[in-house]
Amino acid sequence: MTVNVKTLNDIIAPPGAAASALATEEYFVNMGPQHPIAHGSLRLVVRLDGETVREVIPVPGFVHRGIEKMAEHLSWRQLIHLTDRTDYLSALMNNWAVARTIEQAAGLATNDRIETVRTIVAELQRLQSHALWWGVLGMDLGAFTPFLYGFREREVISEIFEDTIGARLTMNYIQPGGLMYDIHPDFAQKTKRVLAYLKPKIDEYGTLLSGNVILQERLRNIGVLPAARAIALGCTGPVLRASGVPCDLRKVEPYGVYASAEFDVPVGSKGDCWDRYCVRIEEMRQSIRIVEQLIDHIPEGPHTTVKFGARIKVPEGIHYGQIETARGILGVTIVAGGKADAPYRLHFRSPNFNNLWAVTELARGWRIADIIAIQSTLDLVVPDIDR
Amino acid sequence: MALIIDTLPGLAEKIPGGQVLVTSLDWLLNWSRANSLWPLSFGTKCCAIEMLMATGASHQDLSRFGAEVARNTPRQADVMVIAGAIVKKMAPRMRMLYEQMAEPRWVMATGSCAISGGPFMYNSYHIVRGADEVVPVDVYVPGCPPRPEAFFWGLLTLQRMIRRGETVRAPGVRRKPVLSALPQGIAVQDIRAEIHAALEAENVVDVENAAAASPWHGKLRQWMATNLYKP
Repeated sequence: MTVNVKTLNDIIAPPGAAASALATEEYFVNMGPQHPIAHGSLRLVVRLDGETVREVIPVPGFVHRGIEKMAEHLSWRQLIHLTDRTDYLSALMNNWAVARTIEQAAGLATNDRIETVRTIVAELQRLQSHALWWGVLGMDLGAFTPFLYGFREREVISEIFEDTIGARLTMNYIQPGGLMYDIHPDFAQKTKRVLAYLKPKIDEYGTLLSGNVILQERLRNIGVLPAARAIALGCTGPVLRASGVPCDLRKVEPYGVYASAEFDVPVGSKGDCWDRYCVRIEEMRQSIRIVEQLIDHIPEGPHTTVKFGARIKVPEGIHYGQIETARGILGVTIVAGGKADAPYRLHFRSPNFNNLWAVTELARGWRIADIIAIQSTLDLVVPDIDR
Repeated sequence: MALIIDTLPGLAEKIPGGQVLVTSLDWLLNWSRANSLWPLSFGTKCCAIEMLMATGASHQDLSRFGAEVARNTPRQADVMVIAGAIVKKMAPRMRMLYEQMAEPRWVMATGSCAISGGPFMYNSYHIVRGADEVVPVDVYVPGCPPRPEAFFWGLLTLQRMIRRGETVRAPGVRRKPVLSALPQGIAVQDIRAEIHAALEAENVVDVENAAAASPWHGKLRQWMATNLYKP
């Protein structure tokens, strides 16, 4: 059995004549690794004919730190802090994904307080992540003002995290069997204040950016991803939902206390950039709705069920757990056994890695400026791709 | 005029009909350079969110210190803020960006990854242990990630250094404090050799025994055992 591997050298020999009547010549442009659209260090090799994109070849690996390999040297509790540094904009969800997998494998029980607090902080971070995405999308498309507004909202949510968690970005808060610290006494009150502040702000986004004709022209009907292709590429999260597939783990396979909360899953109809934009804006409203329902009903109880310093014993075998982060499904595969207190192998199925390859299909045939809009609405976090 | 005299190192001489400012050209250049730093928006990892985006946005507002004009091309930038881990694949690219920047240029390493490799220093095979192995670094800002206030303090330190004319590339002028003296019986070469051996050993990852075999069994460990833990 043979497999044809396409390398850069194969592509440099142009396969056919250009579609245009003009005598044009194909050429390559490197976007990245130092490029404002990369949001980190990502290299896109773009094969162009004039301004039309013929092919996009992503070259990841500029931030590869070997997190999965490093985790083999750390104990179950220690490896949580590494997950903050993969998709740093959904650090709490990453913590939760690993903690939940370990809990399921080791048979650790949690209580209602732990699960409720986890759900609330995860939704707050989803809100924060989408607010940041919205601001950066505006900046990518040439409007600097949304960036300032997006970060204004991010800062108020950061203050809640600073009180309870003590960190702004790398949280290391959700541990196997509980939480690192109990919530701040002022947590519920402050969160309610912030939610009341944020609610009208989401509508403000509509008047500031969504209604802008330039933005709509640059997003509508650009980069259409049909549902079948989205599923084939393994896209998850808002990218998949914008293509019309209502797949949200919070609904389909509820974890935490999502089953008791009432919320809707926004779904797009076409799968273009505009749908991905609208899905995320609507998700922000739904996140506020979830937190509002839960914030008054945080049950009493201890914040952890496992004593600090206690050894967590995970039975031998392969364990899998998954969670819906702000960018899609994060799956964690743990191979336990061999070593007493550490995983034999750890693997992340990260949402960004799969979503990245959608750009190879989406950008084909569009103009070079549309790559910016497509990349921005895919909302990639590069360190999560490279790990 | 009064505002400028307050901050500009110089001397205002009163003459009939006004005043004349007497200063040296170096002072004037350094003063103006320090107050209009253009950072290169070069972020590889988490620190980029905090260092380059959150500080530049509302609430923190980097423009209070005259350094908010982030440039995407190194040819227009004065200061390179290394925000995030530098891996071996990125290191030559970072060096190239540094070479493209016009003189005078400064480098700030923010976050433990850029300073030493940070949380990825041990048991990893792909990280550069400190950005100063690749480019000369003027100011280090510790933290994981540093708070925006810490970044501002680092920026103010850089501005102070520029006003005094100190840089990494003018070491004779630089007044760098000596932080700690070495314990007796250990030379710098010993520590360097030990670190080198440790880094060499970590490049080859022995999957089964890597956790058990600790590379830190050299002279420094012995000295600590005999001197620090003596009853």
